Amino acid sequence: MDEQACPRCKTTKYRNPSLKLMVNICGHALCESCVDLLFLKGSGSCPECNVPLRRSNFRVQLFEDSMVEKEVDIRKRVLRDFNKKEEDFSTLREYNDYLEEVETIVYNLTNNVDVIATNKTIEQYKKENKDLILKNKSKIGREEMELEELLEEEKQQDEIRKRELVRFEQEEKKKKVRVKEALIDELMFSNADAKNILETFANSVQTTKEEVKVVPAIRATQFSTGIKFGRQRQQNFLPVPKIEEGPLYVYEAPRQPTDGPLPPTWEDLEVKGYINHMESEKDEHRAGGYRSNISCLRALQEALAGLYHVSDRTELVS
Amino acid sequence: MGDKLKRYEKVEYLGEGQFATVYKARDAVNDTIVAVKKIKLGSRAEAQDGINRTALREIKLLQELKHPNIINLMDVFGHKSNVSLVFDFMDTDLEVIIKDNNIVLTPANIKAYMLMTLQGLEYLHINWILHRDLKPNNLLVNCNGVLKIGDFGLAKFYGSPNRIYTHQVVTRWYRAPELLFGARMYGTGIDMWAIGCILAELLLRVPFFPGDSDLDQLTRIFQVLGTPTDEMWPNVKILPDFITFKTFPGTPLRHIFTAAGDDLLDLVAGLLSISPLNRYNCHEALQAPYFSNKPPPTQGPQLPFPSSVQRNNEHEKPNLKRKLLETADGAPHPKRLVF
Repeated sequence: MDEQACPRCKTTKYRNPSLKLMVNICGHALCESCVDLLFLKGSGSCPECNVPLRRSNFRVQLFEDSMVEKEVDIRKRVLRDFNKKEEDFSTLREYNDYLEEVETIVYNLTNNVDVIATNKTIEQYKKENKDLILKNKSKIGREEMELEELLEEEKQQDEIRKRELVRFEQEEKKKKVRVKEALIDELMFSNADAKNILETFANSVQTTKEEVKVVPAIRATQFSTGIKFGRQRQQNFLPVPKIEEGPLYVYEAPRQPTDGPLPPTWEDLEVKGYINHMESEKDEHRAGGYRSNISCLRALQEALAGLYHVSDRTELVS
Repeated sequence: MGDKLKRYEKVEYLGEGQFATVYKARDAVNDTIVAVKKIKLGSRAEAQDGINRTALREIKLLQELKHPNIINLMDVFGHKSNVSLVFDFMDTDLEVIIKDNNIVLTPANIKAYMLMTLQGLEYLHINWILHRDLKPNNLLVNCNGVLKIGDFGLAKFYGSPNRIYTHQVVTRWYRAPELLFGARMYGTGIDMWAIGCILAELLLRVPFFPGDSDLDQLTRIFQVLGTPTDEMWPNVKILPDFITFKTFPGTPLRHIFTAAGDDLLDLVAGLLSISPLNRYNCHEALQAPYFSNKPPPTQGPQLPFPSSVQRNNEHEKPNLKRKLLETADGAPHPKRLVF
């Protein structure tokens, strides 16, 4: 029972130690090679429940029980939309009710209880809370980013401290060696009393040790600066270019001075029967976007234009 | 004519196209910077036919058009057999802006560019002109952020009942499906399609349908919008070059323009409607909620500007300063020649 096995090819972890079980949204497991085989085209259906699946949705199974896997999957999906926070509710009671509702939905979906009705409630919730969902999503995104930044910062600090420590230790070792050598030299070449020399050296070592102890303590206090970094980021909004907005556009039909009686409009062509004097266009021409009313209106406009025209250029007349 | 040649002194060479070479020049009369487009004469055979057709189109159409979002033809002059057109000087174009990775195009910027383009195009369409070559490269932008539609080499009057038009117009990437199917009669829909492609390109920063052949172009269009059926596009099957395509289901625009709002997606869908009769015209597009909704379009001078092109006024200043310094020092030191 403990043995992990692929339900399709029956390969077990024992026979193939590199066996990797993958799960998709339906919660049924398949081994990697079966996935490769069945989903060669990118999509197919689950061999156990025939639900259509996409290959890209397969992931490595993390939990032994594939039901847990399925639940995790569904929870992730549901929480993407049900992303309200405690601040969004006026009372704790309401918030608890909301959490209860989310749990019910997740439970229903994982255990195939009232799937259609549950999906409907999700859809409705989505519709009702469209704006809030979007707002919270961006908020969460920002918060996550900040958190990641903080972690990154801490990691860097950690590394720096480690390196410092190593360096420090090495220096310490070198110092000790140096001190020892100095002591031996002193003992060898000095004319002073050996006891005195030993004492003075012991004293100096003691004092340096005390100094050393103080130093790391200071380093440790420098640590909590990471938080500041994250806070600063929060105020970094993208610069919004300031643009003076002009007025909104309002359509105005262009006026054409015609120097003549007003020509009929497009509607007039049909209503007043001008179009009846035109040969109607052939089907082929109509398919090309030509209508006989185009020619009709143009002819009428050109006939009427300039009838009232009075030339003010007298030199032309003479 | 002779004084006109003197009036515009060449400042620098800007570039050349198939039919013309463009120079930056200074107008000696108004002391302004202009762009001079010198039409190439071409081969002997072409020259015998008289003035180049594209130049003629530009002169014919642009002389009567006056709109803040249409390039202004200020002057035309000829020398021997050359013809030169004088335009407003435009610092850059939308293609440069789209391709410049240092520029961030905000929704308000895109709205401003679309508004200016559509207002210019509405004026053209009201005056019965199809541009027929709309692409980011032909939407010129000056240092004040004003966008003007340029290059009228393919533009033509539309709305003649018995004139046949060529379908070999518009750069392929911006060519409407009816043109790719060989329609010989068409309307403003072909310009609107190109506007839709440009809007998509402004959003994605890459060409929306970069087809490498006419067939590939149609395939790319249908992959996004779905292969048209008879209900979606009546009589599409009788267009001259119609070919049956594999049925593509199409991709929802929401999945392509993930950052776009509903009002913007409606506009894209309206402009890139597969059937030309269902496509928005300028009037409908400008009245789309997208344009009157927030955010308001960016004001001209606040629109982004590519770093590769210096703004004109900034460019002039250092020179002036240097000149002042030189005069203060007296005459510049003569160079010593070493033999």
